[in-house]
Amino acid sequence: MHKDDQMTPKQRMAAFTAGREVDRIPIMPFMGTISARIAGMNLREMRSGPKTEAESQLAGYRRLGHDCLISDYGLHGIGIALGSRVNNPEHGVIAIQEYVLDDLNKIDELDREKVKRKNDPKLTRHYAAAEIMLKEAGEECGLNVNLTGPFTAAASIYPTDKLLRALVKDPENVHRLLRFCTDCLKTVCREYLDLGVGFTICDPIASGTMMKRQNYLDFVYPYTKELVDDLHGLGASAGYHICGNTSKIIEPMVDTGVDMLSLDNAVDMELAKQKVGDRICIVGNVDPTGVMMLGEASNIDEAVKSCFSKAADSPCGFMLATGCDVPYDAPLENLDHFMAAGRKYGQWPLDEARYH
Amino acid sequence: MGGDKIILDELAKSVLEMDEDLAQEAAQRAIEAKIDPKTAIADGLSKGMEAAGVKYEEEEYFVPELLLCSDAMYAGLDILRPHIRKDSNKKGCAVIGVVEGDTHDIGKNLVKLFMETHGFDMIDLGRDVLIEKFVETVKNNDVQVVCMSTLMTTTMAGMKTVIERLKEEGLRDKVKVIIGGAPISRAFAAKIGADAYSSTATEAPLTADGLVSASGGPATSAA
Repeated sequence: MHKDDQMTPKQRMAAFTAGREVDRIPIMPFMGTISARIAGMNLREMRSGPKTEAESQLAGYRRLGHDCLISDYGLHGIGIALGSRVNNPEHGVIAIQEYVLDDLNKIDELDREKVKRKNDPKLTRHYAAAEIMLKEAGEECGLNVNLTGPFTAAASIYPTDKLLRALVKDPENVHRLLRFCTDCLKTVCREYLDLGVGFTICDPIASGTMMKRQNYLDFVYPYTKELVDDLHGLGASAGYHICGNTSKIIEPMVDTGVDMLSLDNAVDMELAKQKVGDRICIVGNVDPTGVMMLGEASNIDEAVKSCFSKAADSPCGFMLATGCDVPYDAPLENLDHFMAAGRKYGQWPLDEARYH
Repeated sequence: MGGDKIILDELAKSVLEMDEDLAQEAAQRAIEAKIDPKTAIADGLSKGMEAAGVKYEEEEYFVPELLLCSDAMYAGLDILRPHIRKDSNKKGCAVIGVVEGDTHDIGKNLVKLFMETHGFDMIDLGRDVLIEKFVETVKNNDVQVVCMSTLMTTTMAGMKTVIERLKEEGLRDKVKVIIGGAPISRAFAAKIGADAYSSTATEAPLTADGLVSASGGPATSAA
């Protein structure tokens, strides 16, 4: 347990969810890449095996004491398992170089068996890393698997620009691809299930900045809801994050049945509170680049304070987070400032006088 | 010239309504009717793209629609361009690319399209563009504007390096630098010494235009 806390993340999260007293509200900076730097490795090293992958998360947790460890199945996970080729940059996140599907009429040639752990070395690595993390810190901190929604999974199989065009020109085949992706994701979730983890569905391509609300309702919502229902049926929790401005789709996002809603910094937390705060715990949303990467202690304090002032009284609860992944190049001290501000304003019982 | 007007309107409509076939047909008819291809582009296709841009700003069109409008626009351009005798009256020339390490180029392609629509000649370096490639292109071409984009925070720093390298090569004063992309902000642009930040594809050409006009326009536009 971190020296500045009185509860472990696990105790805190259990109490918070049950509406009982906590020492402070949960704090969840997105630590997908920057944790590697805390562990003194680059991103290629982090990806090189289960030990380094686990160690980077654990190093981040030991330094910050934030409220969740991550097993990052990644935005391209489904595509890679099926045969999309990616690069392996030393200091960057992986990008797809060649997509496994070049023609929507060939969807039937894709093989869902390939996403199973026994057939996918990448999932095997993530699973082994998750086991290490849980062995080292599972007593005190929960583990969440970050995977994609069906739409972003489709964009790891078939190029995004073509997929977006097909929404208008070939909707039937897009539905077939999304049907396939939803089944693949259900398979992947089952592979993790015996570890007792939670899930966070990230769907950046389904962003309200990219597509219109009707597209979200037709192509994203039904498959995501099915995935969430499936996870709940398995006894697992599901958080939800979509990048960019989701103000116009925020109600249907909550209708999917997810257990918590994480908001990009493009969304006003006040507006999120008004629209869905009485239905779901909202999570957010300090600007990852403008504040976490380019700011200093005072900017971070101010941004965290603003989140509390807008959202801390949200009826179904509020957790502090960044609006998206903290940039790999952000100063590490800024994470300490973020945690310190979160502990200051989020100390229980919450007191408006501190942040208003 | 009522017949010309009908063809020009059809060119515009084909782009706005995302109809590639109509764009090709109308472009062919424009050539048969001996409409100046530059007029067909400026008062036909580009008008349609501008109207699509308005729909985008009004949040009726999003990225899928803009991509399909751009397909129609390029289908028409492919037919009209070979008939243009000499390019003149251009706003200037801009080089554009997605910085090294990043392959996300949908936004870059839309910026390129709106820049073209607005009258800029574009040199498109593509995606995952090496830093030195930007520098070389500025050195070897009559370029007034450098446009760089990235979607990822891990590759933002490359933009700063390009600007530093332009300075080292004595090329920085020759060009205006505009940057954009999801993680980019005005503050970041100021911090790395770019001339401007553009938040949308439709805003970029106006920003470029303003910067180039303020500095006296393209140096050799009479050539």
